Amino acid sequence: MPLSSLKPKMRPHSSLKQEFLKKWIMGLQRCSFSKKNMSILERKKAIKFSADIAMASARNGTTCWSRSLISNASKEGSDIHVVEQILGSESDRPAVENKVPTRRASVCKKIVKRSCRIRRRRRRRKCVASAPSSIAKHLVRKRREVLKSLIPGGEFMNEICLIEETLDYITSLRVQVDVMRSLASASVRASE
Amino acid sequence: MNRALPEMLQSSDMTVLERQRARLKWQAEQFQQQNYFSELSGVFSSQTGHVQGFQQGCLMSRGGARGDSVLSDMAMTRQLKHEPGLETAWQGLGKVDMEFAPCGYGSGPSFDMNHAISRTSSCPPAVAAAAAVGSKAVKGNSLKMGSTVGRVSFKKRKVEKSQNTEVVAEDESKRIKASEEERESKITGSSTHRNSTDKKENSGDTSKLDYIHVRARRGQATDSHSLAERVRREKISERMKYLQDLVPGCNKITGKAGMLDEIINYVQSLQRQVEFLSMKLATVNPSLDFNIENLYVKEVLPSCTTNFPPVGMAPEMENHSPYLQFNPIQQVVSGCGMEMGTNSCDMALRRTISAPVSIPEASFLDTSCFTDMQQIQPSAAWDVELQNLYNVEFPGSIEASGLKMEMEMEM
Repeated sequence: MPLSSLKPKMRPHSSLKQEFLKKWIMGLQRCSFSKKNMSILERKKAIKFSADIAMASARNGTTCWSRSLISNASKEGSDIHVVEQILGSESDRPAVENKVPTRRASVCKKIVKRSCRIRRRRRRRKCVASAPSSIAKHLVRKRREVLKSLIPGGEFMNEICLIEETLDYITSLRVQVDVMRSLASASVRASE
Repeated sequence: MNRALPEMLQSSDMTVLERQRARLKWQAEQFQQQNYFSELSGVFSSQTGHVQGFQQGCLMSRGGARGDSVLSDMAMTRQLKHEPGLETAWQGLGKVDMEFAPCGYGSGPSFDMNHAISRTSSCPPAVAAAAAVGSKAVKGNSLKMGSTVGRVSFKKRKVEKSQNTEVVAEDESKRIKASEEERESKITGSSTHRNSTDKKENSGDTSKLDYIHVRARRGQATDSHSLAERVRREKISERMKYLQDLVPGCNKITGKAGMLDEIINYVQSLQRQVEFLSMKLATVNPSLDFNIENLYVKEVLPSCTTNFPPVGMAPEMENHSPYLQFNPIQQVVSGCGMEMGTNSCDMALRRTISAPVSIPEASFLDTSCFTDMQQIQPSAAWDVELQNLYNVEFPGSIEASGLKMEMEMEM
């Protein structure tokens, strides 16, 4: 995904927020419609879930993490109707389906990479790194793995994609937090 | 590491491309016509620190971060590589070399500007041929990060074809791979068979096209893989810079590991905020009906008065006073609906980034876990984003200024 398209996205926050809120409320209505008298934890889960899906759908399948999030959500059948509601049109479905082949391909790639890495590591066992560069690489690698675990669908990305996705994911999370917070405080104030 | 080359090819970096073009234009403007060949011979025979100086001058070295230098270098080389259409630009670039070298830019490796980086520039065979100039001067030496970053990064570059040997001879740590005969033949031949592909694998082909020569570090592979890896590294560092702007508090950190750490912390904190806020929303609403009135209230631009009572309440306000002026503006500007009035007290206290929890709802939580995660910093990123928001939503600015003044008065 070209980086230049990322930068402008950071700007029109309000439109993104509006969209996110709309979709989120839609999903929540669907949730509350289906189940009554949910426990607090269920509610929290529903809220978070619909928020995540709404956030991901706001990207319209352009980013990897959003597609991965949606496909993960679509997998567990219980809340799929919420996903459908939020996603709405059929346009998002192809994006979800496309994820699978990419995943397979990237998994294969990952396996190949891993085997190469293992082979290389075995070779280099003797001259193991006391060299500062390799220590640095090791550190970076560790952190990269942690980041991969954080970003949805991150395990299948190469490094460049990972950083791009992180960028996008961070902006989306920020929007999500902003909207949720404003809604929360508005609700609190309204209930007072 | 071997990255799939097609992958790299498909990744389109528009910004990089634009930057390349801009840079080329700049360079082309800067330097006028010269007779390449005469200069060439003259230049290269006398090169020592000139080349290195050229390096520095040419590369717009930024803050000394390794990524920056790499990036700028890479940008240059990438110009050479990517665009078959950059023929003239390539020539311009070639001129750069000529120009700078005689200027006597640097005097040996003692620059504390940015590292003299030795490069062997790479370019697609076509471009190289087209230039017919031994233009890509050999770049000096091993780079070293002078004071700024203490990390040694050795870069390999492909020498286009030039009489690198003389220059290289001065280089301590690099070994040239290029073959001189080929270069000379190219220079004399000045054939312009353009290779339309700008694939990197061709650049590694030193077989018959031989316009591209890779100079690599001792013991490293001098093939397309290393080049590809270098390009990849450049891309990564470029994206890390974007992340640096996005994540607050990353401006001071220059190492990749440190920055990744910050990024990880930030993402984790944001995720935790989402969890926490969803929990809060769950408690506030016994049923999941977020009534539309709430939304409606938020949509409408609120009066300023609603801001003040909460503002007066919190003692923590003082800490944030420098930001208070900004925050209301930002909120007003960006909210137009989202964070206005009713919520601006929360937002006004802290930026979203800095603290996840609003004060009035202190009953709800254990915010300490959040606050120590994020320091409140007057990072430039905020101002930039603020500016962006401000620019985007101009109508809100009037209220913003009014609000700001009232807030200040209140304080």
